[in-house]
Amino acid sequence: MASNPSIHDTIPQEKQPAVTRGGFYGRLSINQKRTLWAWAFLAVPILFYVVIRFYPTGNAMVLSFQEWNLLGDRTWNGVDNYITLFSDPVFWQVFRNTFAYLLIGTPVSLVISFIIAYHLDQVRFMHGTIRALYFVPFMTSAVAMAWVWRWFYQDVPIGLFNNMLASVGIAQIDFLDSTTNALPSILAPAIWAGLGFQIIIFMAGLRAIPRTFYEAAKIDGVSTWTVLWEITLPLLRPTIVFIVVLSSIGFLRIFDHVFNMTTANPGGPLNSTKPLVLMIYQTAFDSFDMGYAAAQTVVLFVILLIVSLIQLRLLKDR
Amino acid sequence: MTNLILRDLVKRYGDTEVLHSINLTVDEGEFVVLVGPSGCGKSTTLRMIAGLEEITEGTIEIGGRVVNNLEPKERNIAMVFQNYAIYPHMSVRRNIGFGLKTAKLTKDEKNARIDEVAGILGMTDLLERKPAQLSGGQRQRVAIGRAMVRDPAVFLFDEPLSNLDAQLRTQMRLEIKKLHTRVGRMMIFVTHDQVEAMTLADRIVIMKDGYIQQIGTPAEVYHAPANTFVAQFIGAPAMNLMEAQGTGHGVKLWNGAEISVPGLSIPAGRSVTFGIRPEDLKSDATGVLSGTVTVAEPLGSETLVYVDVDGHEINATAPGRTPPKAGDKISLSLSGEDAHLFDTASGQSLRLS
Repeated sequence: MASNPSIHDTIPQEKQPAVTRGGFYGRLSINQKRTLWAWAFLAVPILFYVVIRFYPTGNAMVLSFQEWNLLGDRTWNGVDNYITLFSDPVFWQVFRNTFAYLLIGTPVSLVISFIIAYHLDQVRFMHGTIRALYFVPFMTSAVAMAWVWRWFYQDVPIGLFNNMLASVGIAQIDFLDSTTNALPSILAPAIWAGLGFQIIIFMAGLRAIPRTFYEAAKIDGVSTWTVLWEITLPLLRPTIVFIVVLSSIGFLRIFDHVFNMTTANPGGPLNSTKPLVLMIYQTAFDSFDMGYAAAQTVVLFVILLIVSLIQLRLLKDR
Repeated sequence: MTNLILRDLVKRYGDTEVLHSINLTVDEGEFVVLVGPSGCGKSTTLRMIAGLEEITEGTIEIGGRVVNNLEPKERNIAMVFQNYAIYPHMSVRRNIGFGLKTAKLTKDEKNARIDEVAGILGMTDLLERKPAQLSGGQRQRVAIGRAMVRDPAVFLFDEPLSNLDAQLRTQMRLEIKKLHTRVGRMMIFVTHDQVEAMTLADRIVIMKDGYIQQIGTPAEVYHAPANTFVAQFIGAPAMNLMEAQGTGHGVKLWNGAEISVPGLSIPAGRSVTFGIRPEDLKSDATGVLSGTVTVAEPLGSETLVYVDVDGHEINATAPGRTPPKAGDKISLSLSGEDAHLFDTASGQSLRLS
């Protein structure tokens, strides 16, 4: 305790507590102790992130400038991977598909989930049960769901949808085997699967708006539309930002539904449903071209980053 | 003439009746305060007038028109809420103008109205601000402005001052009173604070458990409370109530002191409740209530003194300069003319009945 007089001397006498606890820890101020504890608790997740997230991310970026078949040596090949990628027509098809998932999926799921949440918020009858029903798809395995939907989409006499169409005398539709129908057909269950979560978030946002706002509007006699556009939606802005960013990231990374619904023909007819993640998967684990796959991953990373930043900027409180 | 008539108004939630046959008539330009403890039905009554709550039974009439089934906007009323209910994403101008959305006025006319109201409320230079940049008092002023801009026949206030700190509350109270003088509209104001009720009201409606206890001017409810509840609810510190028995020409208090009460004959032996306000008790060596001071609370202008008289706590006020201290022996005198007498069983005033 007093064995080290030189440290002891640096502490002004009057600031010394009446009872001094020994050691390094005992001499720290309350703030320093708090910081120490905070870092102690943060150390575990930081270590986890460095090892599991940041190191592979950095490694992938390096790998995107190399050639590697998973077994042999990694050899540098400059920007060859990127040149191959950008001159590959399949990549541009995949690029379009990915943005189709994003640009159709996000707004459609946003509007549907808001409409359901808005009305569910006003329903008292069996409120909990109905809400649970909407939430179930979110908890269901995407693989199981994809296969069930795949069955729905089959031709007569197997597929549910085509049987229904046939029973009312409408010609059956090629859902998954058509270059135009396949992508929306795969997007539908993906949207449906995410709805439950978005509805819950929207309802929490709606509940957070004070009732008196609506009562005041009622007394002022403004229309339901005005209330929706000028009160509800502006006040839901943080909720909307959250859902848009989250669901955009989800649609940009779509994989399970596509992979499982088109296993016989991965990526759909003429790559019409193939998203970027599926392309990366095939390049890496079918062709074992790790460097090329890494380059595609870096492109996906950049797209995710740019889209998220743009959305945050656009939707931020002005 | 725009008056408001509540006839046999009843509110039930399921089987629970929370308002029991409320009858009230408010004249044009009158300031009426509904006051009572939490759960007395004052806010429910106000919300029924506003059209935010269904009317279970009875009728509400505004300006000779039964409004039971009219939407709030058709009732020609405006309401100010406790939490202000001003929209955080709109400027003060848009907030005040929100009530004019459905009005058939040109944009210039609307702006002129908004400016006029802002001028009256002294917030012309705040019009372009967002509510987050305003203080609590300013926000409540915006809420009042939004009510004023529509020039309604009836203003409804639902505890508008409860979220403000004490000093601001006093200031806003004064402003609302001035506003009433200026616009001359009927105002119905709900509060649980009897000081607010006394200072603002032309007439006070005191409610408890869904019943109206008394309707009267502040002076009436203070000097002639209808029952022991009103007697204790109105006035701070509360009126002292003590057990007594009739002696024909007056009463005999629980401690044996006899007091003659002019103008009232109470049969000998009848149990009554004797009420006396703290300020009507005088420190006097010959007083009939003697005891020890337990607590003295100096307020500056006067001192509240709690006196233990044979196990009863009696509340009195003493002049501020030379207050008694805790532990002092003190005698208090009183005059029968200041006494309030109530039937012990029913709590009703004997003077009124």
